[in-house]
Amino acid sequence: MTLAIIGVNYKTAPIEVRERIAISREELPETTRALAAVPGVSECMIVSTCNRVELLAAVDSQDIDLTKFLERHFDLDPALLAPHIYVQRDQEAVRHLFRVAASLDSMVVGEPQILGQVKEAFAVARASGTVAGQLEHLLQSAFAAAKKVRSETEIGSNSVSIASVAVELARKIFGSLAGRTVFLVGAGKMSELAARHLVQQGAGAILVTNRTVARARSMAEPFHGRVIPFEGIYEAASEADIVISSTGAPHPIFRREHGVAFMRRRRNRPMFFIDIAVPRDVDPAMNKLEGIFVYDIDDLQQVAAAHMAERSREAGDAEALIAAEVARFHQRQLTVNVAPAIVALQAQAEEIRQAELKRMQSRLGSLSAEQAAAVEALTRGLVNKFLHPPMQALKQAAREGDSARLDALCDTWDLPASADPEANSAFPTTGPENQAKSESSPMKEVSQESHQ
Amino acid sequence: MYLLWLRAAAVLYSAASVAVFPAVLYGLSRWRKICVHLAGLAVFFHFVSMVEMLVQAHRWMPVGVREVESLLGLAVAALFFLVWWLYEAISLGIFALPATFFLVFVPSLGPDRYTFPSQGVRVSWLVAHIAALLISYVALCFSMLASVLYLIQERRIKSKPSALKASHWMPLDWLPPLDTLERIAHATLEFGFPCMTVGLVIGSVLAQETPLGASYFLDPKVIASFVSWVVYVFLLLVRRSAGLRGRRAAYLSGAVFAVMIAVWAANLLSHVHRFGAQ
Repeated sequence: MTLAIIGVNYKTAPIEVRERIAISREELPETTRALAAVPGVSECMIVSTCNRVELLAAVDSQDIDLTKFLERHFDLDPALLAPHIYVQRDQEAVRHLFRVAASLDSMVVGEPQILGQVKEAFAVARASGTVAGQLEHLLQSAFAAAKKVRSETEIGSNSVSIASVAVELARKIFGSLAGRTVFLVGAGKMSELAARHLVQQGAGAILVTNRTVARARSMAEPFHGRVIPFEGIYEAASEADIVISSTGAPHPIFRREHGVAFMRRRRNRPMFFIDIAVPRDVDPAMNKLEGIFVYDIDDLQQVAAAHMAERSREAGDAEALIAAEVARFHQRQLTVNVAPAIVALQAQAEEIRQAELKRMQSRLGSLSAEQAAAVEALTRGLVNKFLHPPMQALKQAAREGDSARLDALCDTWDLPASADPEANSAFPTTGPENQAKSESSPMKEVSQESHQ
Repeated sequence: MYLLWLRAAAVLYSAASVAVFPAVLYGLSRWRKICVHLAGLAVFFHFVSMVEMLVQAHRWMPVGVREVESLLGLAVAALFFLVWWLYEAISLGIFALPATFFLVFVPSLGPDRYTFPSQGVRVSWLVAHIAALLISYVALCFSMLASVLYLIQERRIKSKPSALKASHWMPLDWLPPLDTLERIAHATLEFGFPCMTVGLVIGSVLAQETPLGASYFLDPKVIASFVSWVVYVFLLLVRRSAGLRGRRAAYLSGAVFAVMIAVWAANLLSHVHRFGAQ
């Protein structure tokens, strides 16, 4: 059994390619079932987001080429896909999946959505009946690893976009944003995005002004906001707790004297100016006034960059955690693979115990219920004690990948296990042979280093 | 038996004081739960201990330094819980819980060997006088603490990240939002004011009944107490009428706090408010 991941992501393929193979939520169950119908695919699921489309499958042999499925299903020219597609197999695929779920492979490292998207893809595959024991175990381990990364590192703790940094700063000033008034001065895309974030966090009234009233109206509409004539900008500003300014004015429109007047009218209630205009709309001297906080685009970008750097530092720790989780998963897999041998060993012993009990029954004569229970417990205890050392030896040999020892143990006890634990593993470590096959593949093998 | 409960409370306060640091500095929710539960249990044992001690002594007021310390500790812990409940600001626990532990630690070592000999302190109305003033002092301490944290947080936000490296920007991330700090500072001030007023009124009435009568009010300690009350009134009026908040309000709170310390220290200069000497 081999685990394979093939796909494209934002690092390997431009949007023009990704959108050709993007799978909508509605199409996902059907496409997953179509993938499961490919000969040799025993289990599968598909993760499709705006940044990646990945097919994850447990396949019978390494020769099964899932790229053909993509080309056929989306009616694509092989030459279009080949330069962008990557393939991960077995241990590398496990590691890749763990990294994706933990958001280490995301465009914005640490963003929380990807875990939900992988979970959703898994739920779809489960509902479609295309996952069973092996992928189930793998995905549960990936979710556990992602949760561990989130709880043990600070990878997702700080905002890294301008809009979310603005919201974070507003929360540092006002605490809850519920009922706060936001004033949009100028109708830029970024101010609209910041306003959307603030509204999501509970901000109340939205006021909008622009030199072009029609533009102000269209911007106010989605927020059910109030349009303010541009001449009434200063009266409206004094009502607002948060002012997002992005006009094209060549000189500051909010100056120190305005700030003093605002504070007087507001009885010193604080104001937060988010100035995303270049040239700036808000005089930096306003920041010196008590109760007024001014952040321009550079300030916001610097906070975002500092947070991003913090995330990168945390990503190092997260990578180490993922490596440990992948190793642990591999160890568990190896132990799981020796399970048939252990079961056979226990069955043999039980058979012998039952036969011996039957043979001795005539000699023991009629036993009371307590005596029969005591004999049963005695024989069971003896068998378990005798079985303990060989079972431990089997597990250890499997963990250490010691095929010679496994062979010897299986020969001694006449057990039906394969001699090579790696070969018998559900998702073996990619060995030299597998590597050779990957390299000879016409598809591009993306190394993990290129993902860093 | 009351010492056993007090010792249990001291141990629980110390554990809560340790737990509050990871809870606040690293925002660990599990530690937050542990801290709140430990502190809650500590307050319960502390309260049981105080009640049992006073019932055993057949009186309703503390008459020794250790007993007063213990009562002050209980007031600090109770106010911390009130602030936490109203504003979800567990951050103040970094200061309040260790302070409570230190206030409880000495009383938990053993019973007071020295109690105020004055019979004056055993007048039952003095309970209300002492309790009301202790609560007002604790409220002022909380207001002062919130004001100082406000100044730090305001400075952080105003100084912008360009002036601060990321490593300097992060460690004070646990500070509550400015608005929350402002509301805590204001609410604790308003809470402390009626307590101080009631405490002073009861104290004045009791002083009238002493042989000193009106001359009691010429004592430096008593004068300082009334000065602090006037400054307190001034602060509240300015806050309300001029909408004073933020930095200047924090400075004014600091002034009231300084006067309060002066009032406390004025006990050393007092000739009539020295119960240990009588």
